[in-house]
Amino acid sequence: MAKRVQDQKPARPAEAKAWVQENVLEQKKRHAAIQKEMNEDLAPQREQWYREFLQVVQTRGFNANGDQRRVIKPAEVPKKPNRPHKVVY
Amino acid sequence: MARPHIEPYVELDTPYKKFGLNGFKGSQYKVLSLDNDTGACTLKVRFDGGFKRKPGLSYSDMEIFVLNGRIKVGKETWVEGHYAFIPAGTAVGAIEVPQGAEALLMFNDSEPSFAESGSHHPLALTEGLASVNSYEDRPWAPGNLVSPSVASGCLIKVLHYDPLTEALSFLYCMTPQFAQDNISYHDSAEESYHIWGTSWMMQFGELPTGGYFWRPPYINHGAFKCKYGTIAFGRTDSVLFNYFHYNPWTNPDENKLRAAANLYRKRPLLYNWVESDGHNHPHGPPDFENPDYASDPQVRLLHGQPLGGSVGRKRR
Repeated sequence: MAKRVQDQKPARPAEAKAWVQENVLEQKKRHAAIQKEMNEDLAPQREQWYREFLQVVQTRGFNANGDQRRVIKPAEVPKKPNRPHKVVY
Repeated sequence: MARPHIEPYVELDTPYKKFGLNGFKGSQYKVLSLDNDTGACTLKVRFDGGFKRKPGLSYSDMEIFVLNGRIKVGKETWVEGHYAFIPAGTAVGAIEVPQGAEALLMFNDSEPSFAESGSHHPLALTEGLASVNSYEDRPWAPGNLVSPSVASGCLIKVLHYDPLTEALSFLYCMTPQFAQDNISYHDSAEESYHIWGTSWMMQFGELPTGGYFWRPPYINHGAFKCKYGTIAFGRTDSVLFNYFHYNPWTNPDENKLRAAANLYRKRPLLYNWVESDGHNHPHGPPDFENPDYASDPQVRLLHGQPLGGSVGRKRR
């Protein structure tokens, strides 16, 4: 296996370790806040957007490739599954 | 890569923090996303007026996009819209920022690092250096560089292309009244920072100027709308393929299965061979065109292998 510069990186110095740790912790908090805002707070509004989208794909069609559209038949319209729904993981 | 799904994150109201790491003193930063294991990250950095740094190198591949201000780098002056890809170990000239500047800084392999040096590291792949003013030196092209493609009105300027992984760095623009009525996901992680403008995605609502996301593979996004136009900087970590559909409730596992079904239909021999032989990366198979591909840092990161002191972790 050919050696790369990255393989010769010196061990992470203490100040860099502390920097990573501090920012990982902050990011965890930020991620949790985003999850709540997106998965919970925005959910009712998003349900409305989903309803509108499913109407659009049955009338104007959905963009299958570029500007080519295909109109979705009523039988093809997906049903909301009976399980929790997430958009941020 | 072990960056969490950060979407959306509007950084404008977040204060800058002092950047105390070696080589960055005199600047301030915000983390947009960070790999918990490797320390690879995307930062927004403000170089205060008077910032100076001696010539030197990083142990990580690095990308920079200048948002505003002027940055003197050796004999060059980088202004707003300037993009550079700096391979790990490539020495860049002394940096001077007389009046202050803001930029996106991306360290692709590990945490920010700097070693003072007037010469390249002996293993540096310096031929990969790219430095271009993206606003002036690249034309806008239609967004249909991949198929299935985005709708008309989404334009792109490719700034960097990795031939091994097909990872892309690019500017993109959505014209006023752009709309695309489908839901999309990719095999790659995708990242974006809104330089100017607001666009809307059905899952996340509006993403304004200063809006950012790092989205891991196979996560639904779209439909898309943009009322007044948007210009943004984006990246993928591997090949960008658009899987389009119209089921808002699918999850990443279901999307992954659908992607495998796509491979089954379109590349049947490859699919059967990989499945039956228990394909054994990273020890094979050989590639006569790219004999050292298994050593490539981005390939290793994509396969969750150790790099630069990190232990490595399988991507979700």
